[in-house]
Amino acid sequence: MDELKIGVYVCNCGTNIAHIVNAEGVKEAAAALPDVVIARSYRYMCSNPGQEMIVKDIQELGLNRVVVAACSPRMHERTFRNACKTGGLNPYLFEMANIREQCSWVHADKLAATEKAKALTHGAVNRVRHHEPLDSLTAEMCPSTLVLGGGIAGMTAALELAMAGHPVYLVEKADHLGGNLARVDSTAPYLDSARDLLTERITHLRENPDISIMLNSQLKSLSGFIGNFSATIETNGGPNPPERKVIPVGNVVVATGYKEFDASRITHYGYGKLPDVITSFEFEQMMRAGRIQTKSGKPPQYVAIIHCVGSRNQEFHGYCSRVCCMTALKYANEIKSALPDSYVSDVYIDMHAFGKGCEDFYKKSSEIKTLFLMYGKNESPVIRKAGPNDDCGMLIEVDEKLSGERIEIPADLVILMVGMEARPDAGEVARLVNISADKDGWFIESHPKLDPVATTTDGIYIAGTCAAPKDIPDSVAQARAAAGRILAKIAKGKIEIDGVFAEINEDRCSGCRMCNELCPYSAIEFYADKKRSHVIPAACKACGACVAACPSGAIKGRHFTDQQIYAQIEGVLA
Amino acid sequence: MSYEPKIVGFLCNWCSYTGADLAGTSRIQYPANVRIIRVMCSARIDPTFVMDALAQGADGVLICGCHPGDCHYSEGNYKAMRRFPLLKNLLKSYGIEDDRVRQAWVSASEGQRFADIVGDMTERVRALGPSRVHSTLLADQRER
Amino acid sequence: MTEKKKLQIALYWGAACGGCDVAVLDTNEFILDIAAAADIRLWPIAVDGKYKDVEALEDGELDLTLFDGAVRNSENEHIAKLLRRKSKVMVAFGSCAHMGGIPGLANLTTREEILTTAYLTNASIEPGNRTVPCTETQVDGLKLTIPSFYKRAYRLSDIVDVDYFVPGCPPAPDQVKNVVLAVVKGALPPRKSVIGASERAVCDDCKRTKQEKKTKHFLRPYEIIQDPERCLMEQGILCLGSATRSGCGVRCPDSNQGCRGCYGPAPGVADQGAKFLSALASIIDSKDPAEIEGILSRLPDFVGYAYRFGLPASKLQRSHRS
Repeated sequence: MDELKIGVYVCNCGTNIAHIVNAEGVKEAAAALPDVVIARSYRYMCSNPGQEMIVKDIQELGLNRVVVAACSPRMHERTFRNACKTGGLNPYLFEMANIREQCSWVHADKLAATEKAKALTHGAVNRVRHHEPLDSLTAEMCPSTLVLGGGIAGMTAALELAMAGHPVYLVEKADHLGGNLARVDSTAPYLDSARDLLTERITHLRENPDISIMLNSQLKSLSGFIGNFSATIETNGGPNPPERKVIPVGNVVVATGYKEFDASRITHYGYGKLPDVITSFEFEQMMRAGRIQTKSGKPPQYVAIIHCVGSRNQEFHGYCSRVCCMTALKYANEIKSALPDSYVSDVYIDMHAFGKGCEDFYKKSSEIKTLFLMYGKNESPVIRKAGPNDDCGMLIEVDEKLSGERIEIPADLVILMVGMEARPDAGEVARLVNISADKDGWFIESHPKLDPVATTTDGIYIAGTCAAPKDIPDSVAQARAAAGRILAKIAKGKIEIDGVFAEINEDRCSGCRMCNELCPYSAIEFYADKKRSHVIPAACKACGACVAACPSGAIKGRHFTDQQIYAQIEGVLA
Repeated sequence: MSYEPKIVGFLCNWCSYTGADLAGTSRIQYPANVRIIRVMCSARIDPTFVMDALAQGADGVLICGCHPGDCHYSEGNYKAMRRFPLLKNLLKSYGIEDDRVRQAWVSASEGQRFADIVGDMTERVRALGPSRVHSTLLADQRER
Repeated sequence: MTEKKKLQIALYWGAACGGCDVAVLDTNEFILDIAAAADIRLWPIAVDGKYKDVEALEDGELDLTLFDGAVRNSENEHIAKLLRRKSKVMVAFGSCAHMGGIPGLANLTTREEILTTAYLTNASIEPGNRTVPCTETQVDGLKLTIPSFYKRAYRLSDIVDVDYFVPGCPPAPDQVKNVVLAVVKGALPPRKSVIGASERAVCDDCKRTKQEKKTKHFLRPYEIIQDPERCLMEQGILCLGSATRSGCGVRCPDSNQGCRGCYGPAPGVADQGAKFLSALASIIDSKDPAEIEGILSRLPDFVGYAYRFGLPASKLQRSHRS
């Protein structure tokens, strides 16, 4: 190793650090440490003059390691790494000691806080000795994209990507495109035709030469990493044996959609037993056929629509399925329009009318004389067959909250607003593309607020209802967002892989294979011919699980090596 | 003469280290006895680190990670969860008192919880007195 | 014309069982080559050398000393230091000298407990006659001394500067041969190296098939009919092989027993037991604390298993119970 020349900078942060920690004292203590050639104390290290101080010292004093004792590295590690870079020093030859958030701001005892700050700085100085210069790697970005799912989200993403001129493979399990939207007649709140919506999408899709539509197809395996995936698609078409195709893609959009809740699970709704209790999707079919009628073929005089079937329920799913309230109002409007003399009861818990135009739609639904009846969560209505003296087919008993009374609602036709749930194959999809699903089976996004379409696996995006219940506008927005993210990556042409990842020393790896299963990103492959494991740098997220677990110490966690950590332990205890 | 315990804390970047930072931004006060070492994930924590810290003179060691199910790297904290009981078993065989080494789950929003854990642990380690590991190992070199 | 000088060697045993010395004899015909090429100046188990003969040597006159056994009493230390002075190359030979070995497990208790158990509380044919040895006594007006029993076991390198380490309990005879030949040829790696062993873990040489590892249970070897072709860990049977240096010929797994770890940790690993703990626990296939506890409860003496040969070499070295 070249002679070490460490520069230590103790930030006062105005008075944030200095009013409790004796910054001068910390500086003096650091200056006395071996290999520290300069130690400074300054008001605001993150300011331009502060950073320039580092740059100047690197250039004039030949510093090859830098330590800044200041705020949390989560605030300014990047700032100071950039300063090092500007000075000509590899940004990873830098370490911070957190003497603000984890010292001056939380300890009132000045002496104790200063001793701690000295110890933390000593730890950082010890650690930085063992830092190595790290460079990012680059890899090619394949411009093709795999879109899983041919529903509205999948089709939108595919079109967006193809219209920018990049190849797309649209893989759909069923024998037709459209997903759940193909089972719907009109959409709330503007009552647009779903069929027109779909026809427009599908036509554009079919016309676009860059989109390969693969129906009756499923993803069988996905290997590789962002920019360099290899997807195996199996197509099961009719009498021919299944065909497998391996395609190279750069990114994947998962838009596999949802399935509706099975209403027969709520026995007191009588679905599957009472012939005129139907689900929302079955009602859509009725609307498509243009005839709203009971099983006996007569138009219903009383229609009841029940919200939250399988949703907002402790027994089934606790979440709200988002679209059902407005869809229920859509039905109320359609029924009143087709059968003006009918009575429509809308039996709900809360009216979730959050979207654009929805409150107005709600108001309109009330104006057309829909009867709104409220029931309590976990106190759902009970449907039973009516008696021979009743003038309706069924009676619904409800503890109605608005009136405070227990009432019976007549119904010839009951529409159950079945909620959304994760598809049964969602777990399998998640496993194939290496993303996670939450306890309800919805795919997990990288960050619920700031990064809703990316996942923790680079190159895999999620869009539409597979991520959580949502309506068409949101599904389309997410699909476009995912496409946009991918287009930005394709535009760059290459991807930069962070220089911090785990590395397996082939000369030390015994092929024990303790590590392979540990990696949540499937980043550790096993070379059977060489009997060695190998970490794919681009796929590695540097969590260090394999580094700690390797029983022969053959895996090195770059920038978090054992040597660095032992040195830091020694320093903080000095 | 009372001693001030020296506790080494290993905190994962995404949850517990952020939680400790939150205690800072919220100005929640706690004892100055913990010296924090940042790792990216609690899965990085090799049991050897804990033993090394004790051998080098730490009176206590604190390991913090994300709550089970919330790990930024999906399952890292489960590895930490599995290693810890076995580590405690080993430490017990070595005669290290139970309260000296502790594992806790702290989320990024739990600044107060972090402070409470540090406060509680500091008092427990204080009550145990200084760890004799380091001095014993030094003495072994001099007297047989 | 001067006769080519014979190699001057010594073999000595500290707190030892004699197995390492037998391993040298197990080199079979090669021992004759050793006898032809070398003068064995000290080897208590096999030849007649006396301490005073060693004291009479020039410093560095011995080309090679193979010291096996741990350092547990003052005699062990005295001779270790004597031999160090008199030797050019001092080798910690076998697990006990290398890492403390089986005697090292005694570091989990105390000298007082050991002496009390051995001399006071154990069954005796002479009840009532309970004598704990001491280092000095008077017999017929003359002072008799015996070595003092130390408070713990030490590795050789805790006591003297060691040049090379040959691991194994005992080292495989082939490896003994390799080491002696390397010394003879002057073909030794840098000082402080482990020699007579591989740079990888036992799994590298083990013929059993290895798949991805995860387990929901740990079993004792007798609890199942093992698949002799498959990795023992995958079958739930503990094997330290993944955390142990190879070079032994994989004799234990080949005999359907889990590796015991006698060749010590892989290069670069500071604490064999801790590293094995990390690997073992990581592959447990459970996310439920209660289930994990149940699975781990099947490891009744983990410290004894993970540190069977290397307790004094571990980070904590010995019990710190007050």
